[in-house]
Amino acid sequence: MEGCKAGDRKMQELLYKQTASKMLAVCMRYAKDRMEAEDVLQMGYIKIFQKIKEYRGDGSFEGWIRRVMVNTAIESYRKNLRSLNVVEIDEAYEQPSTGFDFGTLGMQDLMKVIQKLADGYRMVFNMYVIEGYSHKEIGETLGISEGASKSQLSRARAILKEEIIKMEGFGYATYTG
Amino acid sequence: MQPIQDKDFDQLFKNAFEDAEITPSRDLWSNIESEIEPKKKRILPIYWLSAAAVLLIATIGFLVYQQQEVKPKQFANNVEPKTIKPIIETTQVGDSVKALGVVIEKTEQVSPSNSKPAVALAKSSVKEAVKSTQNQKAITAPEMQKQETIIAKVEEPKQEIIKRKIEEAIQQPKEETVIAANLGSVKADDVSGDYGQSENKGIRNVGDVVNLIVNKVDKRKDKFIQFRTDDDDSSLSSINIGPFKIGKKNRK
Repeated sequence: MEGCKAGDRKMQELLYKQTASKMLAVCMRYAKDRMEAEDVLQMGYIKIFQKIKEYRGDGSFEGWIRRVMVNTAIESYRKNLRSLNVVEIDEAYEQPSTGFDFGTLGMQDLMKVIQKLADGYRMVFNMYVIEGYSHKEIGETLGISEGASKSQLSRARAILKEEIIKMEGFGYATYTG
Repeated sequence: MQPIQDKDFDQLFKNAFEDAEITPSRDLWSNIESEIEPKKKRILPIYWLSAAAVLLIATIGFLVYQQQEVKPKQFANNVEPKTIKPIIETTQVGDSVKALGVVIEKTEQVSPSNSKPAVALAKSSVKEAVKSTQNQKAITAPEMQKQETIIAKVEEPKQEIIKRKIEEAIQQPKEETVIAANLGSVKADDVSGDYGQSENKGIRNVGDVVNLIVNKVDKRKDKFIQFRTDDDDSSLSSINIGPFKIGKKNRK
């Protein structure tokens, strides 16, 4: 880490190699596909190497890197903000009443369904569920109201559940409705 | 199967992504590396350029100020002896020829550019100076052409002296120019042959004006700033401030 602060290229590469695959997993959650995720990953690391002097050692270093990465992803989303998700919000999803067996679903499957979400839903879901932001923080960061954040989260959940049920139904033919 | 609680549902995702790892493409690091590299390189020249620009503007401003004070004196010197001593008059003409020669030396090396801030500064105050020079030219033009060739060779020592005088009068803002005066004399030989042709060019634009001033003060081969005026508009051809040099001469 000290080497990175001094701008040592070898140390920077080492840091990248140690953390990149974890960080790509973070970026993937926020992106539509792998290409977009790798773009964000690249921007994130450039930012990390520029800002590394600002890291004061409070909290874990990996936690700091992850925060920079998440912020980069959010920033990138805001830059590409399209009117698309406004349309999606109006789509009604019924809350599925059935439960399902999650044991059969791997991380890759969950990643797939998250990436299928509309951009706005994906942001709110990631920020609230995985990163632990409050609705207030999410509202401020994304420029939406606290209520909108809440409703988008519950819609996101509903969509995800439905998608997962579909997936299980196709994969195992055990889905009974 | 029981309907799943939101809390459990969320926890499921959380656990799944907790230690998730996805290996990035192999060439991603080299992309990042190349993004970091050029930025560092780019930053340095920007600092240099801005520093050079400030220095340049300050220097030109100073020179223009000096020029304003010096010019009227020269003019007075040249005019006075004319009426009193006919013999001296010819030498004076020689002087003015010489001065013009210097002017022309400039126009030869001029080139195109955007240094408008500097030019704008120089513009107004220099115009007066230019007028006085042009007046001299009008008076002495016929004689000048006759004597030109002779003077160019014979008067060389004198030119040296006059150069020095001008320099002293201006109080040399830079040591370099004094040291470089010798270089300047070498250069003068090359240029003397051009006097005739370049004479027609005169002063057509701001680039010429700036060149005129610079040539007066900076006798080095690489002037600290030069404009190219071959075309209708002038543009920067070279800059030379100590270690910092830009030159487009090769394109000529």
